[in-house]
Order: sequence, then structure tokens, then C-alpha cells
Amino acid sequence: MLGSEKPVAFECSRGRVKILLGEEERELITNLAGQFRSVLTEDTSPDLRRLYPTAYPDDADKDSEYASLVHEDLLRSRLDAVETVEATAQAYSIDADELAAWMGLLSSLRLLLGTRLDISEEDGFDPDAPDAPTRALLAWLGLLLEESVAAAAAHLPPHTHQ
Amino acid sequence: MSPGPTPVEVDKPDLGHDEEIDLERPWIVLVWNDPINLMSYVSFVFQKLFGYSADKADELMLDVHRKGRAVVSNGNREKAELDVFRLHEHGLWATMQKDS
Repeated sequence: MLGSEKPVAFECSRGRVKILLGEEERELITNLAGQFRSVLTEDTSPDLRRLYPTAYPDDADKDSEYASLVHEDLLRSRLDAVETVEATAQAYSIDADELAAWMGLLSSLRLLLGTRLDISEEDGFDPDAPDAPTRALLAWLGLLLEESVAAAAAHLPPHTHQ
Repeated sequence: MSPGPTPVEVDKPDLGHDEEIDLERPWIVLVWNDPINLMSYVSFVFQKLFGYSADKADELMLDVHRKGRAVVSNGNREKAELDVFRLHEHGLWATMQKDS
């Protein structure tokens, strides 16, 4: 993807971020957000495993302690992102915090779908494969995520670390 | 790589004091390569969470991509765990371990 191409999803405009998506795309995002909430709340899908990674690979005790400490917070921040995206899906423009929520949801959805597809870096796209629609969706979410990153980079504070 | 400056004679450092500092900062936070996260997103998260410049964040991201992992922060256990949590919150594959 060339960085110089005209954005199709997010565009910086006078301190805010314009959402360029069409009606059907906004409905699709709203629909995916709702589905994601169900999967998150149910909390049984093995496809969620990349959303709750291991912190201590060499220490099962410390890791289960960590998991029980953070699980609720990780769930809460993802549900908050779902809520923000649903509330702003029809908006003309959003602020930096709302953009961060969009980015969070796009990233989470890609992790869920990528895990479900068991994606690997070498995978090409085969339009006749049975999972082609999901792969196309993953690619589309990737395009949106790229553009949200480009828009959010403009709102980053000056770097504090060498 | 540069071998560094020629050693000169200096007063021996207070080893006991240095050990104390080492004990306070024994953990490193690693981010591992994964096939799903986008390179631009990973670099952005490094800038956002740790205040790295875009160049430094890109360098770390490329280390993750090419070498399979990179150390992105370090500190005592509480700080490392908070950094791991913030990385997990952003969907990155982070772990922590004692620095060897």
C-alpha cells in the first residue's frame, strides 16, 4: 500500500479526524463491534487467546496471578472501545481519544479474525478459498487500521525517550 | 562495532551500592513477532506507550519483525508488569522475564 494514496477511512482535519467511510461501511463496523462485544462478554471463544496473552511464559504461578489481576481491565477497555465506536460510527469527525478507541477495536478485531484464520506471514490471498471473505475482511480492517495509525501519529505528543 | 573508549584507571565503584540498583531493575519486557499485527501499528504503540521517537520505534519494530523479538522496556517487577499490561491492552504479544 502506498502511503501517498488518498485516505478512504480517516483524514486529519483541523485538529480532529474526519471519518470518510460510506454508509454501508459504517454499518459493517457497527455490526462487527456488536458481534465483538458478544464474543468478549461470553468469554469462551478460543479465538480470544491473542487478546489475553501470557506475561510470564516461564512461571505458571506468576502468570495466573497476572491473568486474574488484569483480565477484567483488559475486558473493560475493549468494551469501552466497542461502545465509543458504536456511539461515533455515524459521526462526521472524531477527536483523538475516540480515534484511539477505533484503533483499539480495529486491532482487536484483526487479532480475533487472524487467530480464527490461523494466519501466517507467508499466507497469500486465494479468492476461491472458503475463508476468502474473512481474509478480505481482515485486509479491509488492516487498511482502516493503517489509516487510523497515520491519523493518530499526527496527534502524538513530542517523544520523551531517546 | 566500536570497542568503546580505552579503559583508564578509575576508583573502584561501590559494588554493594550497584548491586542494590541491579536488584531494583532486574526485569525486561519483550515484544514478540506475530503475523497479525501491522508493522506501522506496532511502531505507533511503541511511540505512544514509551515516548520513543518514530525512528527508535521503527528500529525496535524491525527488530521484532526480523529477529523475532525486541526488548522494549525494563525496570522493577511492578513497572515491567504495568508495561506488559499496557502492551497487552494494545494487542501486542509481550512477555517479561528477569534480565540475565
